[in-house]
Amino acid sequence: MDCEFVPSVCSYCGTGCGVLFEVIDGRINRTLPLKSHPVNQGKLCIKGWNLHEYINSYMRLKGPLVRENGRLEKATWDEAVNQAARRFTRIKEEHGPDSIGVLVSAKITNEENYLAQKFTRAVIGTNNVDHCARL
Amino acid sequence: MTVKRIAFVQELLKFMGLEGRLHLEWISSAEAQKYVDVVTKFTEKIRNMGPNPLRAINEMKKAG
Amino acid sequence: MDMVKAAKELLLQDKVDIFLGYRKLDGHQIPHGFTKAHVDDLDQLEISLNRYPLEKIACDLAQKDPALKIGILARDCSQRALNLLYTWDQLNPENIETLTVNCCPSPLSTHGDCSYLTPKPTGDYKKAHGVDYNDSPKDFLANHDSGERLSRWMYEFQKCIKCYGCRNVCPVCFCKECSLEHPNLVEPGVLPAEVPIFHLIRATHMAGRCIDCGLCEDACPAHIPLRMLYREVNDAVSDIFGYVPGDHIEKSPFSIIGKTVELTPAPMDV
Repeated sequence: MDCEFVPSVCSYCGTGCGVLFEVIDGRINRTLPLKSHPVNQGKLCIKGWNLHEYINSYMRLKGPLVRENGRLEKATWDEAVNQAARRFTRIKEEHGPDSIGVLVSAKITNEENYLAQKFTRAVIGTNNVDHCARL
Repeated sequence: MTVKRIAFVQELLKFMGLEGRLHLEWISSAEAQKYVDVVTKFTEKIRNMGPNPLRAINEMKKAG
Repeated sequence: MDMVKAAKELLLQDKVDIFLGYRKLDGHQIPHGFTKAHVDDLDQLEISLNRYPLEKIACDLAQKDPALKIGILARDCSQRALNLLYTWDQLNPENIETLTVNCCPSPLSTHGDCSYLTPKPTGDYKKAHGVDYNDSPKDFLANHDSGERLSRWMYEFQKCIKCYGCRNVCPVCFCKECSLEHPNLVEPGVLPAEVPIFHLIRATHMAGRCIDCGLCEDACPAHIPLRMLYREVNDAVSDIFGYVPGDHIEKSPFSIIGKTVELTPAPMDV
């Protein structure tokens, strides 16, 4: 049996608490607070304590799904991205760019956040862009 | 088991500042008079102690 | 280092299948399960200043494979936790090997590696309105009247954010069904937590169990002096039943039905 511990950062909010995953035979079994982490100093909230639950959840989305005839079907990334681009273009043409809003995440990098706002302003053409860490 | 748990919880409540509000008494179904006496005595005791201080704290919290 | 040699011997002689200790990864001292396949990793073995519930991890491993032989780097509190887990049949003492390290200083061992060597500082406001981390339960009881005791504990409890960290980190909390998750006792999704019921439920369940390791207080984001509360729980259990949890392998007074303890209900004082 294999048991190792992987330090990581909590993926729920923008605080960025240090967590420690207990991995038994390649499967995350428990989350512990990372005691030496300067942000949370060995403390966690209820969401952080249960971080392992959604990782192992059977409901978790592992690949792109495209809704066809009212049902979600598995698709390749190319299909899904093309579909999204087609539909966004149509929405923009029919209702104008301000009918689209973009919400970005605290858990992606600065550069990705920059890209997202650039995409929203330059490609879609709206200022409707916001961020969860602006709570 | 009951007497063990009650003895412990009485001690814990005393530490929390809520002593005297928990009591255990063995009463058989044949001891009607004892039942009446104990309930009367305990009711009287609680009445003299006044309302549960937790209630006041909770109401204060609700009022903000 | 002798510790590394001893741990290597345990693994190489097949006395244990996995050895739970600490190592440094990315600058953090974290627990690690050392195995025979990677026995050289043991050169990185450390006695961490940060304590994690290694006994709880051992329980997780034993649940997956009850025959697994586990070696543990054990401080005094780990020894007490292991004794308690043996008592409650959560671990099999035949499958556990310990390597003892120094911990809290005593007259015999002045050297210690525990994070409790220096007492935790208590702020002035907490001293005036709350409960001092380092107060002894007996002094607290003697120095404050009942109204003040209640208001001080309520000040502490109402800070609770109901993270369940005290339960999740506790090495002796192993119940599959927890009273703190019972909807009739603790209403789910309601914040602030119902005080003092939430904490008293947990305190009651710590009776005859708490081994005074202090991990709950460490994990509490609201700085509630839980170790001090459970010390009082332990004092009460030891005064009434003469039982010290984790001292040696002995059933808790709350787990035995029958006449092992002669108690009569306390008389009503009016």
